[in-house]
Amino acid sequence: MKIDLIICGVGGQGNLLASVAVANYAMGKGLNVIGSETIGAAQRGGSVVSHLRISDKDIYSATIPAGSANILLGFEPVEALRHMERLAPQGNYIVNIEPVPTVNCNMGLDKYPSLEEIIKQLNRVTSNGYQINASAKARELGNVIMTNIVLLGILCRVSDFFDKDEFVKVLEEIVPVKARDINIKAFEAGYSMVKTE
Amino acid sequence: MKRYIMGNEAMAWGALESGVRVVTGYPGTPATEIVDGCLQGDNVYVEWSANEKIALEMAMGASLCNMRAMAVMKHNGINYATDFIMHLNYTGVRGGLVLVGADDPSGNSSQNEEDTRILLHTYGHLPIFDPSSPAEAKEMIKEAFTLSEETGSCYILRPVMRICHSRSTIDIQGQKQLDRQPKFEDDRSRFVMSAVTEAKAGGKMRPLWRHSLLNQKQAEFSKYAEDSSFNHLEEGEGKVGLVGCGIGYTYIKEAERILDKKFPVLKLGTLPLPKSKVINFLKKVDSVIVFEELEPVVERMIKQICYEEDLKVKVMGRESFLPGEGELTSELVIQALTDMNLVSHPAEAVRSEIPVPIRTRTQCIGCQHRGLLSALKQVARKNKAIVTGDIGCYDAGSFPPLELQSTIFCMGSSIPMASGVHKTGIDQPAMAIIGDSTFFHNGLIGLVNAAFNQSNMTVVLCDNSTTAMTGFQPHPGSGEKIGNVEAPYIDAGKIGEALGVKTRVVNPYLLEETKDAIAAAVKEPGTSLVISRAPCHLLNMRKTKQPYFEQRSVKMIPENCNGCKLCITDLGCPSLYYVEDEDKVYIDENNCVDCGLCADVCRRGALVL
Repeated sequence: MKIDLIICGVGGQGNLLASVAVANYAMGKGLNVIGSETIGAAQRGGSVVSHLRISDKDIYSATIPAGSANILLGFEPVEALRHMERLAPQGNYIVNIEPVPTVNCNMGLDKYPSLEEIIKQLNRVTSNGYQINASAKARELGNVIMTNIVLLGILCRVSDFFDKDEFVKVLEEIVPVKARDINIKAFEAGYSMVKTE
Repeated sequence: MKRYIMGNEAMAWGALESGVRVVTGYPGTPATEIVDGCLQGDNVYVEWSANEKIALEMAMGASLCNMRAMAVMKHNGINYATDFIMHLNYTGVRGGLVLVGADDPSGNSSQNEEDTRILLHTYGHLPIFDPSSPAEAKEMIKEAFTLSEETGSCYILRPVMRICHSRSTIDIQGQKQLDRQPKFEDDRSRFVMSAVTEAKAGGKMRPLWRHSLLNQKQAEFSKYAEDSSFNHLEEGEGKVGLVGCGIGYTYIKEAERILDKKFPVLKLGTLPLPKSKVINFLKKVDSVIVFEELEPVVERMIKQICYEEDLKVKVMGRESFLPGEGELTSELVIQALTDMNLVSHPAEAVRSEIPVPIRTRTQCIGCQHRGLLSALKQVARKNKAIVTGDIGCYDAGSFPPLELQSTIFCMGSSIPMASGVHKTGIDQPAMAIIGDSTFFHNGLIGLVNAAFNQSNMTVVLCDNSTTAMTGFQPHPGSGEKIGNVEAPYIDAGKIGEALGVKTRVVNPYLLEETKDAIAAAVKEPGTSLVISRAPCHLLNMRKTKQPYFEQRSVKMIPENCNGCKLCITDLGCPSLYYVEDEDKVYIDENNCVDCGLCADVCRRGALVL
């Protein structure tokens, strides 16, 4: 088996914690995991992307070749658009539809595309997409900071690779003890946001 | 114990498992976490040095005491340390000395991209390990320490960003302590590099003699390369061989997996090359493609081998066939094989047809540099000043919307460049803006030169008491050193006074005061220093949980806004947003931290306290 996963978003959205959770989950199953991150400008609202490669065989490159990611998990619409070239036509995408405008868009120096335009582009790769407002759900549960956990719940539901109970155990180990219950709640909420057949 | 860690941490463990005693470096992406990682060891001295040359010189001092030492830096640091490297190659080392020079092909987090193998091997004649994975990088560091002591030479590890920043499962064996006490022994004919005659070399000049010894060393380096398990041959189909240097090998393996094909492959991880292995490989193929980061270093060496051995093999790579710039990818390997008609692999990637807005780096909301950049821009505009820039968070002032600094080159260059601007006799004021870590790195000497040669210019020092851009590493003006340990505070203001430079210290959150100080400095003769001093907002919030500035809540009065966008072009806070339909600028209450600066900039009474 082999799963190539792109997790992309904006610095501060909890991208790294999400990729660590997925990596821990896969390692717990005895699989090989290699990841790669853009870091550096992450604290300054920069574009952040993690490549995660999971396999029961040897993995070489830490970056996922264009057109071959099984899943694109976009924490932000424009970031999903930026990395759509990684996604395989047979793949799935999950996009959190709440935009984080760029500084230049805010200042009227650049144009943020409409959500419809972004989805239309993503659908050119595959129609297997889930467009969900995970930020709104996290805010409803008390804190927008849990958007990443809601998205992990969605990912767990969308991909057969993940078992819900096992994923919860992984999360319990990496989130702060005092925030454990609320994070598990966010994960469950994300999980229930998707109806699969 | 197996752990899922960053490549940089894996390299730190390689050093700890080698019994390293002294680790030095200057922060720089992609290498920074290698130094931090070494803090996990006991009885290891780890420091952030003021700059990379000092870091390497420190490590050499430790090596002279027969202890193992490692200096860590990015490629720009290697450039800066070159003068020392070009002596250390002649003298050799005593205790194992490993220099880690991390390259950033494609310049993802750098001002330029370069291949330090040219500087360190082609020019410096030092042996290099070029890792294909984090796990291999860790093993190479251990081997480098061993060989450094066996050959009495400095060994280099040259990881690229994709090695440094990747995460994988690494086997950690734990720190090793060497049973060794520091001991200094004189050997002046070796460690006193000077233009004197050398009696033991028959009266030859010492530099010439040491150079000949370095040349003789090459055979030893070559022998180790020949025997090294980091170089190997793989059988495959066809007459086109693929040469993978460092991470180039990884991309070849990835391409083979995707294509489900096996090519003849030569994996290379050392410089000098394992010549017989290369010749054996060349004898099996008609042509080779060399995949290396970043320049045609190995490609040219293989061409030379073909010439010397009279082998009719076509050698392709970065010089002609592959792109001459930018990082390698597995896609690029597949493209090359497609261009050679060896495979047919239609690209499946679908790219966006609409423009994707970029996320430019800017100052954080609440950043102390924002007030300074705004003040400086206003004063510079009024006086038609030329502003040279330097490297650090504040350098984002050279991007839209501020577009203040006219230059960014390398660490510390802002001050001498502004001096040069002034010395032409131009009738515009010359100004330099530089950060505190950069100032201590290599800016200080530029200020000394400006004061000494009486440059009529203003140096603006953005002092946030940390190296914020690379993740808050301390520097001589921080009052603490690595590991949050208290350290003497070196006051840049006192340095300015000692140089006879008129020095002013301002709080950049007080816009008018800051403007007045800069304006006064511009008008006075001689070299002036304006220190804009306030702690990094992010770091300060982390430490004290409250802002350094007096919180001032700003209200937006829509009817007063005429859409002049002065708050954007003269301040550019990410918390401000422009609504095109209304031609007005609003405040995003979700992320505004009440620094109040936008109210100081607005002249229409639209942003008011």
